[in-house]
Amino acid sequence: MSEQTTSQIAYKYWDEITEGEALPRVEMPVPFERVILDAAATQDYFPGHHNPAYAQHQGQKNIYLNTMAIEGFIDRVATDWAGPHTFIRKRSMNMRASIYAGDTMVGEGTVEKHYEQEGRKLVDLSILISTQAGPCVPAQLTLELPCK
Amino acid sequence: MAEEFNVPFPLEYGTYEDALKMIEVRGERKYAEFTVNWEMIKVYCAMEEDANPSYWDEEYATKQWGGIVAPPGLLLTWGMALQWHPNKDREHYFVAMKVPLPGDTLINVATSTEFHRHLFLGDRLSAVDRLIEVSEEKKTRLGVGHFLTTEAEFFNQKDELIAVTTNNMFRYYVPEDKVPEDKVPEESAPEEKAPEENS
Repeated sequence: MSEQTTSQIAYKYWDEITEGEALPRVEMPVPFERVILDAAATQDYFPGHHNPAYAQHQGQKNIYLNTMAIEGFIDRVATDWAGPHTFIRKRSMNMRASIYAGDTMVGEGTVEKHYEQEGRKLVDLSILISTQAGPCVPAQLTLELPCK
Repeated sequence: MAEEFNVPFPLEYGTYEDALKMIEVRGERKYAEFTVNWEMIKVYCAMEEDANPSYWDEEYATKQWGGIVAPPGLLLTWGMALQWHPNKDREHYFVAMKVPLPGDTLINVATSTEFHRHLFLGDRLSAVDRLIEVSEEKKTRLGVGHFLTTEAEFFNQKDELIAVTTNNMFRYYVPEDKVPEDKVPEESAPEEKAPEENS
């Protein structure tokens, strides 16, 4: 399994990245199963993530993904592009709209800055997570990457 | 109504003044229930459909990092309380869930994390967090309540700093006269717009 999986993985090196470069779009459907799997995988049983009646009481349309699920998807958009040798130094995100059961989420990103700091080779990305309803979660990441 | 939903895991109720008293009170260090384990990493990566071999491939991860590492997005999970324990009451791990306020529900709004080092299989996380700010009452499209800003530091069992997180959460109630969003006429003036809202 490892050989096959690893051979499909892309590896980006710091010295081959340019500012303005676009990251490949990542799309993932969010059926009810994934929202429930999210609650279980992250041990977050806040009722908005598994109880539709509670989510509606909160003013939400349906049960929705939690912060950790969105964080992991943002990170995946970055590391699917940059490769598993990436160390995520910083991630900031604003959750402006919920991602509900039944939605499809899409992650897109751009290289904003390519620089060195305290001996580290860094890249700043802006990533936007959207659904069919529009933008949901803008995020900023700082990645540390090796040179070729 | 929400109180009924929350019975197994209630929030603290009180006034804005009660909440302000909690500002800058540094919490005790709390130790995670779960040690970092490969099974939970795999379940999380299956949820994300994340094929990163740092989480799946022992040979690759050992060569790259010295072992399988935990995805950064699982940081908060290691400390989550079990639903039942023979000797302990179920307790919220983070101070944000324990702030006394009128709102009967909450939603996370924004979060920012700086990562200093990886967590490896077998590591045991601990955290210290504190409440930094409580906003005055605000009205947003979801309801009426207060924004809470908290900061948490996470350490491994060697007392090495793993990550520092700043989080912003909205603790609110939905006013009884609130018209459901899909019934609000297009031309009606919005209330004060929420800076941002979600999970």
